[in-house]
Amino acid sequence: MTSTSYNALTDTFIPKPIAEPQQADRFSDAAIAELEEIVTHYPERKAACLPALWIAQREYGGSLTPGAIREVADRLGLSYTEVEGVASFYTMYNLKPRGRHHVEVCTCLTCALLGAYDIVHRYEHELGVTMGGTTEDGEFTLSEAECLNYCGGATVIQVGDKYFTGVTPENCLSLIEELRKSQQFTPALLADSIVKIQTPGASTSGGGSFAAQDLI
Amino acid sequence: MAILNLLLEHRDVPGITNIDVWEAHGGYEGLKRAAAMERQAIVDEVKASGLRGRGGAGFPTWIKWNGLPKNYDQPHYVLCNADEGEPGTFKDREMLLKLPHAIVEGIIIAGLATYSKVGYIYIRGEYTEPAWQVRKAIDQAYQRGYLGKNILGTGHDFDLYIHMGAGSYECGEESALMSSLMGERGNPRLKFPHAPLPTVAGVWQAPTLINNVETYCAARWVLANSAEKYASYGTERSKGTKIMSVSGHIARPGNYEVEMGTPLMELLHQAGGVINGRLKAVIPGGSSVQIKTAEDCEKINLDYESCGANGTLLGSGGFMVFNDLTDIVQLMKRTAEFYMHESCGKCTPCREGTRWMFKVMDRIASGAGQQGDIELLLSIASQVDGRSYCGLGDAACWPIVGAIKAFRSEFEYWIEHKCSPVGSRFFPPQVEAVNPILALSAR
Ligand SMILES: Cc1cc2nc3c(=O)[nH]c(=O)nc-3n(C[C@H](O)[C@H](O)[C@H](O)COP(=O)(O)O)c2cc1C
Ligand code: SF4
Ligand code: FES
Repeated sequence: MTSTSYNALTDTFIPKPIAEPQQADRFSDAAIAELEEIVTHYPERKAACLPALWIAQREYGGSLTPGAIREVADRLGLSYTEVEGVASFYTMYNLKPRGRHHVEVCTCLTCALLGAYDIVHRYEHELGVTMGGTTEDGEFTLSEAECLNYCGGATVIQVGDKYFTGVTPENCLSLIEELRKSQQFTPALLADSIVKIQTPGASTSGGGSFAAQDLI
Repeated sequence: MAILNLLLEHRDVPGITNIDVWEAHGGYEGLKRAAAMERQAIVDEVKASGLRGRGGAGFPTWIKWNGLPKNYDQPHYVLCNADEGEPGTFKDREMLLKLPHAIVEGIIIAGLATYSKVGYIYIRGEYTEPAWQVRKAIDQAYQRGYLGKNILGTGHDFDLYIHMGAGSYECGEESALMSSLMGERGNPRLKFPHAPLPTVAGVWQAPTLINNVETYCAARWVLANSAEKYASYGTERSKGTKIMSVSGHIARPGNYEVEMGTPLMELLHQAGGVINGRLKAVIPGGSSVQIKTAEDCEKINLDYESCGANGTLLGSGGFMVFNDLTDIVQLMKRTAEFYMHESCGKCTPCREGTRWMFKVMDRIASGAGQQGDIELLLSIASQVDGRSYCGLGDAACWPIVGAIKAFRSEFEYWIEHKCSPVGSRFFPPQVEAVNPILALSAR
């Protein structure tokens, strides 16, 4: 994304101006109101960078395009690179588009002991993608997660804002079947849920219950 | 000494996440008692309880609470570390999910004691379901006047906000958490003695208190009951209880609250014992601590001193049990992969060292190990441990060095015979995928 040129005189790298993505802002009025509410939680605007990126991830349909990053930077008075640096640090911000269901299989210690890699191989076979890939029809993105910290329910799979626990190599395909039927767009759903959690009063004004269902 | 439910006492009460039910079970009693006390008396109460931090390091909680300036001259902040990321630990998740009011109450008490007006709960991004319970609890507490302006007529204001993380283990480290809260990359900052303690200059350069979820819950229990009662449980230097998250090859995985000093084998027994084989090893405190053989387990009691004396740590309480079909080398390879993935990249020893350790572990565990690889691993570890910027670098080395100490023969077997000493296939080899279809059929 960024390119630099070297200045031998001062021994520094000078960032070349990035071709600013020219795109209309896409935050809705409701999203702007949410952001301004969240900004009041902190002593400075910059601190709302993580929540703002969550809002952007929802408003831009589940991934952070260069346009989304620029809009966040503009709204918080930060530079593009600053926001891009933050967005690229955290694994839950999608810098690349994701499929409609982002299936993250925990393959950390306990889950791996109890068969997570067998599940991964079954999914790779079923979906025809390898780890990190997205199916051609854009339905599924399959990836590996580090410990999701529900090891007592190993193996754990995260799809959007839900945890599925007790998945075994035998029953894992039924999860894919269920998801094929579902019309939701899970990456944006997850971002939406996280934004609402940070908004005071959200629990009384709906928000809904987000019980992780044990589908299987 | 065995199971002792102090903090988890009400976890199975139906509707306990609702403030009415919580109050019917003695909820917000701790806050009411604290509100009627002198600020210093609250800190003294925590001191008398002997409570130590439950986030991993076991640092005496009262010293932190006592360290903040005792006036309103500048803003102070209270942070709750709910960025639980240590593999094997899931106690914070259960508490956030089932006992959100206990946490909220504990944080308000800390706010009172430390002259703070604002608190943040930093919850990891994946924990949406637990975070919803905390959201509800905070909203209900505002309605009852436990949060907001002039709490319980004390003249003290306190606001509590949720800050969601976005997927990074490193953000559980306290200074990285503060960076993340300020809207930056989750890189740690310079620490004491090279920089002031967080209690002097923490988040936004203001005095900051940071504790783990379980620590706040325990502090609430102390205020709601009494310090003497809390201190009457546990051992000489480790007071009270510890919640252990039991997982792995065990009949009944889950969270067990045990009295400090409970023999390790007793917990194993309470959790239903090992399944599909005999006990081979236990990691008592999350992936960052040293693995222990079955014989060593007989000697260990679950408290800070006994674990320390036996060359491991109580850590965050992620208790993982392995049966005799577990391949320790492959387990350690996966551990090394975790730290390689989570290293934030700020300092060279950890960023490079974790990669090299993974490469060597991967080489051994895929049958390409060479003579001298064990020494190579130990040498890399010695160059990372104690030389990295934050605790993650150290934590990446301890499990590997510990495993070499306890199970050296298995490493040697892998290098010599190019195969697993137990013939286990828990971690199938990763096939280099060029064409997905070819790679799949090759398997
Ligand atoms: C790499 C690393 C990760 C950590 N992760 C967590 C964590 O997920 N949760 C936590 O409470 N403490 C974590 N800690 C410990 C914190 O830095 C800090 O010691 C703790 O929050 C202090 O709270 P306590 O005094 O209540 O234990 C971590 C430390 C390190 C070095
Ligand atoms: S030890 Fe690792 S995680 Fe910590 S600052 Fe250095 S690179 Fe980052
Ligand atoms: S190892 Fe999978 S949830 Fe912890």
